[in-house]
Amino acid sequence: MSGKYSRREILGHAARGTVLLGLGGTAAVLATKAHKTYAWVIDAEKCVNSKLGVLGVDVCELCASECVITMSAVRAVNEFSQCGRCYICPAYYKITSAVGPDGLPSEKVCPTDAIQRKAIGWIDPDDPANNFYDYTIDERLCNGCGRCVMECKEPAGLSSIRLEVRHNVCLDCNRCSIAQVCPEEAYDRREPVTT
Amino acid sequence: MSSVEYRRSGSMRANARFTEELRGIAIGSDDRILAVGDSRVVVLDPSGERVREWSSSLPGYCVAQDLDGRVWVGEFEQVEIFDEKGTLLETFKDPERLGLVTAIGLTRENIFLADAGARWIHRYDRQGEFLNHIGAQHRKGGFHIPNGAVDFVIAGDGILHVANPGMHRVERYKPDGEYLGYFGRFDGQDPEGFPGCCNPTNLALDREGRVVVTEKASPRVKLYGEDGKLLQVLADEGFDLHAKNMDLAVDSSGRIYVADNVTFEIHIFAPVTAEGQR
Amino acid sequence: MRVLADSRVPLCAGRWRLGFLVFLFLVFCVAPQVVAQQIDYSRQAEVAPDEETIGEGYVTPEVQHPRSRSARRQLFDVALLALALALAAWLALKKRSRVGLVWLTVGCLAYFGFFREGCICPIGSIQNVTLALFDQAYAVPYFVIAIFILPLIAALFWGRVFCSGVCALGAIQELFCLKPLRVPPRIDRALGWLKWIYLAVAIYYAVLPAVDRDFVICRYDPFVGLFRFTGQAWLLILGAAFLVAGVFIGRPYCRWLCPYGALLSVCSRYAWRSFSITPDRELDCGLCADACPYGAIEERRAVRTSCFACGRCYRSCPVHRVEDSGGAAPNPNAGLPSVDRVAR
Repeated sequence: MSGKYSRREILGHAARGTVLLGLGGTAAVLATKAHKTYAWVIDAEKCVNSKLGVLGVDVCELCASECVITMSAVRAVNEFSQCGRCYICPAYYKITSAVGPDGLPSEKVCPTDAIQRKAIGWIDPDDPANNFYDYTIDERLCNGCGRCVMECKEPAGLSSIRLEVRHNVCLDCNRCSIAQVCPEEAYDRREPVTT
Repeated sequence: MSSVEYRRSGSMRANARFTEELRGIAIGSDDRILAVGDSRVVVLDPSGERVREWSSSLPGYCVAQDLDGRVWVGEFEQVEIFDEKGTLLETFKDPERLGLVTAIGLTRENIFLADAGARWIHRYDRQGEFLNHIGAQHRKGGFHIPNGAVDFVIAGDGILHVANPGMHRVERYKPDGEYLGYFGRFDGQDPEGFPGCCNPTNLALDREGRVVVTEKASPRVKLYGEDGKLLQVLADEGFDLHAKNMDLAVDSSGRIYVADNVTFEIHIFAPVTAEGQR
Repeated sequence: MRVLADSRVPLCAGRWRLGFLVFLFLVFCVAPQVVAQQIDYSRQAEVAPDEETIGEGYVTPEVQHPRSRSARRQLFDVALLALALALAAWLALKKRSRVGLVWLTVGCLAYFGFFREGCICPIGSIQNVTLALFDQAYAVPYFVIAIFILPLIAALFWGRVFCSGVCALGAIQELFCLKPLRVPPRIDRALGWLKWIYLAVAIYYAVLPAVDRDFVICRYDPFVGLFRFTGQAWLLILGAAFLVAGVFIGRPYCRWLCPYGALLSVCSRYAWRSFSITPDRELDCGLCADACPYGAIEERRAVRTSCFACGRCYRSCPVHRVEDSGGAAPNPNAGLPSVDRVAR
C-alpha cells in the first residue's frame, strides 16, 4: 500500500460520489415541481350521492366507512351560493317523518347532527316559514356518510351539498381505500382546490 | 260540491318538437294546446297533431292566449306577443322591473306577469302601464321559489291563486295585492300536505273552479277544494322522477293537461262524473 | 349474398323477414333507453335566493374548503426519520448496543407503524418518485423526496441503518426473529434476485397510464394490514405467515422481497463507514457468523449489502472487537500488520 490514498479508497470515494450525484440529481429534478400538491379529490359529478340523473338508489356511505382514518377524511360541504335556504330542508329534516306540532318534521337526516340551521337576513316576526335559513355543516362532526348529499340532490333539493376530501386530514395513501371501492370511480388524484 | 273526478286518459308526445325543455303549456282557441320550451312555440290540436310551430327569440317559460287570439310568450325580461299564425306583433318589456316571466294571466282589463327574478307578480293595465305588485306588500322578499318559477292562476271572480312552494301554500290575492289567505301545509306523510322542500310548483283551476296542483320529488298531480281539502290524487306515478315545474292547462271540456318537462309528454286527465265517463 | 337486380328473390323472404322484424323489435326496445340516457339532467344554478332578497345585509358565507395540508406534521415526520437514522447509526456503529437498537426498533414500530399506520414509507415512495420522474402531470411534495432520499444517503454513509430499526416493516419482523436458522448462501443469493424483480415490476406498474396504474408495493404490503388491524383477509394471513416464518428465518421480506432493499444494497455497498470485521483481530471463532440471522457474514467477512446493522454480531463476539472500519487504530498487542480487508 503506498501513498495517502489507496486505490480502493479512491474507487470507494468515486463510487460514493457517483451514487450521491445520482440521488442528488433525482432529488433536484423532483424538487423543481415539488411545490405542487396532489391529493385525492372526489368528482362530485360522478359520486353517486350527488350524480344527477340517478334517483331511487340507496345512499352510498363508503366514504365514511372505508377511510383508514377513524373519522373519515371525507366530509360534506354546502355550497352556500347554490343553496335554496329553504324553511324545510330535505337534507336537514327527514321529510318523510311525522310532522311535529310546530309544523316541522320531527326527525333529522344527519346521524351525527352536524348540520346547523340558522335563520338569516330579515326575520319575519310572525311567520317563521317566511324566512330564509342557512344550513352549515360542522366539519368536526361530519363523518362523510353522504346522506345529506343524496337528499339535497335534484330534484328534491338544489344539489348544493357535495362530498369533499379534506386533504389536510387525508393521508394521501397511494392506494386510497375508498377510491378502490368507489362504485362510480369518482376518486382521482389531482391538484385540489384550496382557495 | 262537485263530484267530478279525473281519470288519466293518455298522453301526447311533444318530444318531437322539443330538445331541451318543455316549460309551459296553455289552452288556446278551439281547445288547442300551446306549448313552449327551447325557443319554440308549438300548437297542437286536442288529438296531438301539430297544427303550427314557430320560433321565439328567447326560450319561452310560459304561454297564454288572450281572447283576441294573440299568443303571449313569457321569456327573460320580455314578453313576446304573436298572432295566431306566429307573426311577432310586439315585444313587451319593462326594464328595471321585469325579470324572468314564468306565468301570464290575462283578463279583460289587466295583464298579470309573474316574475321569478323579483319573486312577485306585476299587474299592468292593457295599455302596458304598471299598476301594482302582488305579493310584495304581504311578503317581504316575495314568494319563496327555490324551484325558480312563480305560477299563478286567475279565478273567475278575479282572485289570483298563487303557488308559494317554499312555504307549502297556495295563497289568494286580490288584483290590487290585498292578501286574502291561504291553504296548504307541509306534510311528508299525509297526501293532503305538500311534501319536500318546495311544493306545489304549479297550479291551475279546473272547470269547477277547484285548484289542481302539480308537485315535484316525487311528481304528483292533486286536486283540492277551495277550503284546502284534498279531493283526489290524480296521479302519483307515470312521470319522470326528475320532473319539476310541470305546467298545467285546463280546456273548455274540463280535460287537464300536465306537461312533463323531462320526457316532453303532455299527460291528459279526462273528467268523469260519479255515473261514468262523460 | 348478392341479390341481383332482376332476381325474383324477394328481399323479405324467410330469414330476412324474421331478421328485419327482430331488428325492429330491438330498436323499439332499445330506443327508449337510448332516448332516456340522452336526457340531460342539468342543475338550475340560478335559482338560489340572492343576498338582496334575504335582506338585512346578509352576506353569503364562504364555503369551507379544506385547508392545505399541515406542513408541520410532515416536517415532524421527516425530522423524526432523520433523527432515527442518525440514532441507529450511532447505536450500531459507535455505541454498539444491541439493547439500544431493540428499543429503537420498538419505538419506530410504534410510531411509524402503528401510529402513522405505515404510511408514508420509503418503500412505497419508490413508486411515487418513479411516477414523478416519468409523468409530467404528477409531482411528489418535498417531504416525500426527503423520505425517499434520507435512508439511501444514510446507507451511503453508514450502511443499511434504515433497516436496523427504523423501517416499520423491518421492525416488526425484527422483533419476531427469535430462533433464526441459517439459510444456505446459494439459496440466499438466488432468492435475493426476487427483490430486483419486484422492484422492476413495481416501477413498471407505477408508470402505467392512470387507468392501469397500480401501486403494487402498497397493495401487496403484507404488514400494513397488521398495523391498521384491518385489510384483506389473505393479505393479513400472508403477513402473519411472514411473521411466523420470520421466527425461524430472519426477516424474509427484507432479505428477499423488499424493493427498497435493492436500492439500499446498492448504496450500502459503497458505504463510507460500515460494518466490517478486521481480519487481524478476529479470532476465527465464527460466533458472529452463527449469530447473524441474515447471512451478512460470509467467510468471516461482513457482507455490507445484506447487513441490517442489528448488532447481534457485537453481542456474540467474545472480544467485542468488531468495530467500524477505517478509524480504529490497530491493536499494538496483535503483533501482526493490520490488513484492512473488507469483503464485498
